[in-house]
Amino acid sequence: MTLAAYAESFEQFAAGLPPGQRAARREQLGRFLDAGFPTPRLEAWHYTDLSALGARRFSPVDPGGTAPAVEWLAETDRLLYLNGRLDRAQSTLPELHADDSSAAAADDSVAALNAAFSSGGLHLRLDRNQRLPRPLHVVAFGDTAAASPGMVHQRHRIELAENAEATVVFQFLGRSAGRLTTQVVEVSLAAGAKLTLYRLQNEHDGATLLTRIDTRLGRDSRLHAVTIDGGGGLVRHDFNMLLAEAGAEVELSGLYRPAPDAHIDNQTRIVHAAPHCRSRERFKGIVDAKARAIFVGKVIVQPGAQKTDSEQHVANLLLSRRAEVNAKPELEIYADDVKCAHGATVGQLDDSALEYLRSRGIAGAEARALLLRAFGAAILNRIAIPELRRSLALQLGLADEEEFEDAAAETLA
Amino acid sequence: MLEVKGLHATVDGKEILKGLDLVVRAGEVHAIMGPNGSGKSTLSHVIAGREGYTASAGTVLFDGRDLLELEPEVRACEGIFLGFQYPVEIPGVSNLTLLKAALNARRKHRGLPEIEATDFLAWVRDRARLVKIDPKMLSRGVNEGFSGGEKKRNEILQMLILEPRLMILDETDSGLDIDALKIVADGINTLRSPERATILVTHYQRLLDYVRPDHVHVLAGGRIVRSGGPELALELEQKGYAWLEAA
Repeated sequence: MTLAAYAESFEQFAAGLPPGQRAARREQLGRFLDAGFPTPRLEAWHYTDLSALGARRFSPVDPGGTAPAVEWLAETDRLLYLNGRLDRAQSTLPELHADDSSAAAADDSVAALNAAFSSGGLHLRLDRNQRLPRPLHVVAFGDTAAASPGMVHQRHRIELAENAEATVVFQFLGRSAGRLTTQVVEVSLAAGAKLTLYRLQNEHDGATLLTRIDTRLGRDSRLHAVTIDGGGGLVRHDFNMLLAEAGAEVELSGLYRPAPDAHIDNQTRIVHAAPHCRSRERFKGIVDAKARAIFVGKVIVQPGAQKTDSEQHVANLLLSRRAEVNAKPELEIYADDVKCAHGATVGQLDDSALEYLRSRGIAGAEARALLLRAFGAAILNRIAIPELRRSLALQLGLADEEEFEDAAAETLA
Repeated sequence: MLEVKGLHATVDGKEILKGLDLVVRAGEVHAIMGPNGSGKSTLSHVIAGREGYTASAGTVLFDGRDLLELEPEVRACEGIFLGFQYPVEIPGVSNLTLLKAALNARRKHRGLPEIEATDFLAWVRDRARLVKIDPKMLSRGVNEGFSGGEKKRNEILQMLILEPRLMILDETDSGLDIDALKIVADGINTLRSPERATILVTHYQRLLDYVRPDHVHVLAGGRIVRSGGPELALELEQKGYAWLEAA
């Protein structure tokens, strides 16, 4: 049985758990072992094949490791995880960490694997009308020995009570190859709550990253999420958004620029279960070399979800013949008084724009860089933390002249 | 400055220019007129180096140098500017970014350092005033959501900022109301100098009331069929092109 290494690792892992948790964890492991890693035979995993992971052996990660020399964001609180373990010294709000992960029965084998091995994570719970004063930066730093790459499974929970507000930034910084990381974020927004969530990854191009965000949105609540993929070898993101009560709103934006050999699969699923909800999705991809990018955008409008207002747009630049993009909207509409728009494009840089720039003296390579920057800026600009936006742009090779533009806007006003 | 000799050019395999000769000296303004389809725009694009416009025979010299072997961006850096008939919209790339990149490309070409941001902005603001463009529009994407007249004024603004030596304006006057036409003409006249030359490609005589040409040429069937002074433009306005084509 190819999953043997996981079963062995679990015994080692379970020994360190409080006895009360072991049975529940073992149950989750059982689910994972029964189902195995998803294969492309499952429709939801059509484009991403994880079966090779089954034969791999990941060492359970030892606590500790060295903190990265990174300049942290100013005016921001932080939880730093080194290989899945909280670094208290470098975290400004360590009390927000929780070890427990009493997950509900997982509905897919990756989620079960995550629940079985979870080392916990953020547990943010805001009371009614409470507002997180500063953005919270949750950094997952991964660096394990090349000879025995590790696996990290984390589970975060965000619960905002009525009219509470928060900004949470999840960022993956991976330094070593071969690792496996899974992350599940459970979000629950009560009436009128507002959450801004950024999920950013600059993983090692030899690493595997599997994430999932499950959100339930209550009446008139709002989720504004931006996801940026710069790195990673094999990456899969699942977004499950349930617009459960009237007036809820979700805005989900994404930008991916996979590494030359990388595979990035974004699967979004937005369920309109109540009337008068609004969803906006906008993804953009720059896919070059031998990279592969997938976007599947499912929107389900349930019976009775009248006055649904939904838009989904995905635009890809395919810059090499050997690169591949699959962009697929999937709409299931069971109500009749709704507005649902969608559009998916895969194309090249605009030749006429390139020509125009060249006619002004701007050489081909620079002209292309200008156009790519403009393409990405449409998503990057949705990140409301300027410092973060700038570092992401640099990371993605899309650094703009924002500083210059800002100065210019002031001077010319 | 510009010497075109026996130029034949094809677009999509079809021969449009069939042995065209033209000499433009520094300080001169040439108007090239002619009916639709006569090859006016093709001439502009061949000089600027647009892709798909291939010279199959003849020579084009700029300051004695073979222009046809240069990339379009090099021609621009050497001082050739083409004002487009249909300027392209480039959402997300601001006018300022384009202008700064274009100006610095020229400076680099001449071995000069990049321009200081404050100097650049002062220069741009000064020039924008000439064409009555609100400086705030400069922060918007290139021609993004601009009206036809705004796009043409924006072309002239770019020209004023980049200060080319040879300005080629491809039907910049078409579709403009009289106020916009005057602004465009002012822009051209501002740059007019003994060191610079201008080629106005136009279908109508109207622009020439505001920018007085030294030479007027009539292009028909891919060749210059007649050349003269400003009076030729007036004659064309009255008689149309038919009498020349018949000749």
